[in-house]
Amino acid sequence: MFEVLDPTPGTAPPAGRLAPRLDTLEGKTVGFISNGKEGTKGFFKHLDQILREEYGVAKVVSRTKSNYSAPADPHIVAEIKGWDAVVSGLGD
Amino acid sequence: MQFASRSYSADSISAVQELYHSNGWTDGLPIVPPTREAVQECLEWVMMPPDQLIGIEPVRGLAITAEKLAINAVMAGCLPMHFPVVVTAWTAMMQEEFLMHGATASTGGCAVLVILNGPIRLEIGASGSFNALANSDRATAVIGRAIRLCLINLLDDRPGVIDRSTLGHPGKFSYCVAEDEEDTTWLPLAEHRGVPKGASSVTVMAAGAPRQLMNEWTTKPEEILETFAAEMRANMRHYSIHPGNYALIIPKQLREHLQAGGWTKADVATFIHERARIHRREWAEVGKGAVVRDRGDSVYSAMDSPDQLLVVAAGGPAGGFGAVIPPWLGNKSYAVTLPIGVCVDCEPPKK
Repeated sequence: MFEVLDPTPGTAPPAGRLAPRLDTLEGKTVGFISNGKEGTKGFFKHLDQILREEYGVAKVVSRTKSNYSAPADPHIVAEIKGWDAVVSGLGD
Repeated sequence: MQFASRSYSADSISAVQELYHSNGWTDGLPIVPPTREAVQECLEWVMMPPDQLIGIEPVRGLAITAEKLAINAVMAGCLPMHFPVVVTAWTAMMQEEFLMHGATASTGGCAVLVILNGPIRLEIGASGSFNALANSDRATAVIGRAIRLCLINLLDDRPGVIDRSTLGHPGKFSYCVAEDEEDTTWLPLAEHRGVPKGASSVTVMAAGAPRQLMNEWTTKPEEILETFAAEMRANMRHYSIHPGNYALIIPKQLREHLQAGGWTKADVATFIHERARIHRREWAEVGKGAVVRDRGDSVYSAMDSPDQLLVVAAGGPAGGFGAVIPPWLGNKSYAVTLPIGVCVDCEPPKK
């Protein structure tokens, strides 16, 4: 008989909480946080157009991380407070 | 000793294996059952209580405790005497400049290369001779494996979960090398990187697979090193142009020609820094013409400065071989060197 120990943390890492879902995108400000890879360019350009033309989004703010492998830069994170929604995208 | 970890009962060794495999807690190979006794022995060896905080993983905020590292180290096959290396390697990996989350989650698929220096190599039987980059000995095999099992189980670095590697490489099973300090006139890597003479230490580097080269047709240092530089240029052309920490593994046969010519590690690094450069236009020769744009004349160096080169004396005594170990993605991750056991209060070191 073996008594063996669990190698995992057992508890989930401290996680952020999702913001409440918006009733509408009409008139809202949406921020994009891109990791800056080649594949993000076409995606966000297209998404920008859809959000404005089909969903009535008032303003799209595009930001690109300085290092695509690291968390978003503090100045980008600070800007999020001024946005109603965020789309964070990878280019892979 | 009181453990925070949940425990499981299993009737047989095969039941233990199935328990760990079915939970996704392995690298696919059988594990050593992490019993309370085995884990306790590891912790006693480093004189740490189970809840000793080794560090906080900087991106996801996970607390890494000595208990969890010890469980994974036992699973990898570590004996208590190997555990100080695992603790120090993980402390180094949690330094911000290592960018552990990015390096271990990236599609780039690097592994954590662990380089050992100092007397602990001899105490644990870590060999820097025959087969140095592979299954050279028990110590480096199990220490390298422990690093990976900890990543899998503590950070959820499972393929397709946090680990998004497109290919990865075999070093992700185990990637640990001891410098052959006894058979060289060169200063050990750790001393070059500021660790006092005689202290044992660990260097970690987010590293691609080794690129083996061969030049046994000259004894001239410049010609030998030109082959290394050419391999780095090839990496810059075929893989990534980003400058950063490269490691050169130089076995005895080539090393002796360099030493006989009076070349130190610093001389090697200076030469390599001058020669490991490419023009951006060279990308057009390897199918990457689309990204040359109007910057074809720009020159790129493999490293920002010579001190980014990690020169390691290791390898079997015969054979005109060597290896270039490229960085994951240049300066996105910096190699970190830490001495073993100097942190008497065991707080993570501050920059």
